[in-house]
Amino acid sequence: MPIFDQGYQHWSGRLAGHTWRWLAITRHGLRAAFAGRTIRLVLLLAWIPVLLLAAMLTVWGLIERNSELIQAMLPFLGFLDPAILAGPRPYRIPIWTLSYSIFMSAELWFAMVLVLLVGPNLISQDLRYHALPLYFSRPLRRIDYVLGKLGVIVVVLSSVTIVPAILAYFLGLAFSLDLSILRDTFGILLASIAYGLLIAVSAGLLMLALSSLSRNSRYVALMGVGLWIVSSAVAGALDAADREERMHRARGAMRSEESFSESAEDLAAAKRDWRPLISYTENLQRVGRHLLGTDAAWNLLSKLRPAEERALFMMRFRGPQFPWYWSAGVLAALLVLSASILKFTIKSLDRLK
Amino acid sequence: MTAVVSFQGVSKWYGNVIGINKLTLAVPAGVTGLLGPNGAGKSTLLQLATGQLRPSQGLVKVLGEAVWNNAALNCRIGLCPEQDAFYEWMTGWDFVLTCARLSGLPRKEAREATARTVAAVGMIQHKDRAIRGYSKGMRQRIKLAQALVHEPDVLFLDEPLTGTDPVARRDLMDIIQRLGSEGKSVLVSSHVLHEVQSLTPNIVLLSRGRLVAEGNVRQIRELIDEHPHQIVLHAEECRKLAARLLTWDDVEGVRVLEGEQGLMVETRKPDAFYGRLPALYLEEGLTISAVYSDDDNLEAVFKYLVRK
Amino acid sequence: MVDAIATVGAKVQTASRVSWVSASWTLFTLTLRQHLHGQRWLVVGLLFLLPAGIALLVRATAPNVPPLALEFLLVMMFVPQALLPLAALLYASGIIQDEQEEQTITYLLLRPIPKWAIYGVKLLAAMTTTAVLVVAFVALTYLAIYANADVSYGEVAIRYCQAASIQALAVATYCSVFGLMSLLTKRILVIGILYTAIVEGLFANLPFGIRLLTVIYYTRLIAYRSMSFEVTRRRGGTEDLAAVAWQLDWTSAAKQAEHPQLSTSIFLLVVASMVCAVLGGWLCMQREFHVKTPENN
Repeated sequence: MPIFDQGYQHWSGRLAGHTWRWLAITRHGLRAAFAGRTIRLVLLLAWIPVLLLAAMLTVWGLIERNSELIQAMLPFLGFLDPAILAGPRPYRIPIWTLSYSIFMSAELWFAMVLVLLVGPNLISQDLRYHALPLYFSRPLRRIDYVLGKLGVIVVVLSSVTIVPAILAYFLGLAFSLDLSILRDTFGILLASIAYGLLIAVSAGLLMLALSSLSRNSRYVALMGVGLWIVSSAVAGALDAADREERMHRARGAMRSEESFSESAEDLAAAKRDWRPLISYTENLQRVGRHLLGTDAAWNLLSKLRPAEERALFMMRFRGPQFPWYWSAGVLAALLVLSASILKFTIKSLDRLK
Repeated sequence: MTAVVSFQGVSKWYGNVIGINKLTLAVPAGVTGLLGPNGAGKSTLLQLATGQLRPSQGLVKVLGEAVWNNAALNCRIGLCPEQDAFYEWMTGWDFVLTCARLSGLPRKEAREATARTVAAVGMIQHKDRAIRGYSKGMRQRIKLAQALVHEPDVLFLDEPLTGTDPVARRDLMDIIQRLGSEGKSVLVSSHVLHEVQSLTPNIVLLSRGRLVAEGNVRQIRELIDEHPHQIVLHAEECRKLAARLLTWDDVEGVRVLEGEQGLMVETRKPDAFYGRLPALYLEEGLTISAVYSDDDNLEAVFKYLVRK
Repeated sequence: MVDAIATVGAKVQTASRVSWVSASWTLFTLTLRQHLHGQRWLVVGLLFLLPAGIALLVRATAPNVPPLALEFLLVMMFVPQALLPLAALLYASGIIQDEQEEQTITYLLLRPIPKWAIYGVKLLAAMTTTAVLVVAFVALTYLAIYANADVSYGEVAIRYCQAASIQALAVATYCSVFGLMSLLTKRILVIGILYTAIVEGLFANLPFGIRLLTVIYYTRLIAYRSMSFEVTRRRGGTEDLAAVAWQLDWTSAAKQAEHPQLSTSIFLLVVASMVCAVLGGWLCMQREFHVKTPENN
């Protein structure tokens, strides 16, 4: 009878490839994340905008088909210009675009809350309880570990951005009964998915980097809050100071919104304004607006307004006008910074001290 | 004997999980060992006794006073907790001094007490190093020092010997024994049975939140009559002796020890067994050079009681 | 070493030797040392340097902005809305949770300090730290706004003292509120952020009675009733920045009387702070702090 060594024995079977190893970490992370009541509650709340998006696309389908049901809904459709209700077909793309744009803006807020709920624990707890050797004593690479952790955030955020965007899209299609809608709006769906992925990957990687900087998950969450809220507050303060400066320079009577007209100089200044770049969420929104084509949609709708109101209308609804690739550059820089932080803080077993 | 620590019908639930189940116990003065497998409720018992947890049911008293929300009593209680947690950025000296000051000792007395206690646990030469750089043994010593620094009457030690090297273990055991001999009451929880046995013959044995046994190890063993006693006999004619013993009704089993040096006999009636042994020599000429029981030790008691 | 142990226990513990005040003072200094320890201090310092940095940036890029407008924007808008809640959240939420997470709370619970006093002393330390932060960094902000400006430094010093006192009172109240919340929920950060965004951000800016429930409303009222935020425009005339930004209708005596007086506002903040502190202390007395034992749920 052979006598076996009771110590460590090599696994003699075949190992699965690296491709899906990270999924085990994601699965475990998701189980831990969804165990919390707060997260489930926030997810539930985050689906309220989804219902509104679905309702809007459904109603639009009925409007396009001139359904009798619309007559009963007319009192609730006051926000739509009568010209749109009279001839909806040319406004299909802008209405779908704006519906998705408003939906994604609302979900961006929920996404930030969810990242704060799910993200801080992901790496900081492993550091606190010295759990990294448990991962890296297995055939896992650092990239598998980071991908696994990132997967948790991506799945959670996708569940309030990408998944509902797709579901609402097919619901909208189902109520329109017009195949041309697929051709007109498929780009919007792709843009929404891309925007959702951008939010998930950017916010996720940033949160992972922060999570790897401290063993205390509360401090990690506070750093996340600082990046989200303080960066927006700084951008807001700088913007307010700029408005004060312009107001003072103008010397004339204070311009009221009613008499507002945007000068070419103002517009050019708005396109060079770098201040909103300081806000993390503003950068995400700027790229999102570009992907979805939100400004073009507002521009089209502004044509329904009298000429003297158009500038004010655009001023109200369009966001900052600086080039979208500035924001893309800021987000790319943050991605590189996050990846670099992770590279230095997540050490493989052989480098643990 | 006056109980230093008493539990009167104490239960502690954590939601659906029961930590301590209807425990009634009186721990006398002196050193007492608290034993039990993992999850037996040892930490819960110590946290109840030090007022960190409120009993779901029943009353816990230390030195005759209820402990829950009785901060004044903490002057007379010391705890060396199980967790390896410290203010890592502090030096050992700073940590013990802070604990002394937190215990309400005036500045001068706190310094003197710190100096005494740090010396007592053998940490004088390391006192100015940050705790984060300490070895496991040093951490245990400094943790014990913070429990001793305010000179408590009752000391609770939760796994104080865990992770220590033999030298540190010997030193810590000396300290505990000395405290006991000085009239302090010490309740030590441990998994290391032989160490508890060498500290004290008095034990409290917990299993699944219930009190399984308390008292002197040997007395407890004697109470376990339904379990066969293991008795070792050293004899020259082992096999012949084994054959003879197997004819006795109260002998349940006989095993020849390695090298045929002796026999291990299992019997439920040890007193009757011992009584008949001389006749073997007198009537049948079978020589027995040594007789001793193999299970008057704590390990055996622990196994018997917890296994049930 | 065994000989040395002979002296341990030789002394008899007497109640007279134990000083409750001394123990509390030690706990207070211990908490302050915890606040000052590590890189957290650096991060908070950088955060609080932001208003001074913004002031310098604005002065360099937008020289026409009146210093008073900049002061209002940074000291009365940016600091109380963004920095004070964050600082209070950082320090007050950790009063008990940090000790529990680090498992060091045992060393505090085993001392002759009642649990309510542990909470109270640590809350006081959180208030002290945040108040010192505010006083120091608001001073830097004033310096950045008014250095080399054409103003009376005496007046600026008085305004600084007023602003720093108001902010210190506000941050102390936030500490009490967040300290209490941290005893009620483990998700204090998210709850705290939601509270800051919804109650202190949204409700406080609505010209309705609901803002009477916010800390920032009283902070603003104290500032508005004790300081002036009227900016003289180049085109002539003045503009009351605070009345517009804070939705305060100050157009008639009757409208002004609708808002609490200065003393009432201060009193309410102090009382709210004390009520939260007492409630927190009471909760601490009732609670168990689990270390190495399972939570009840």
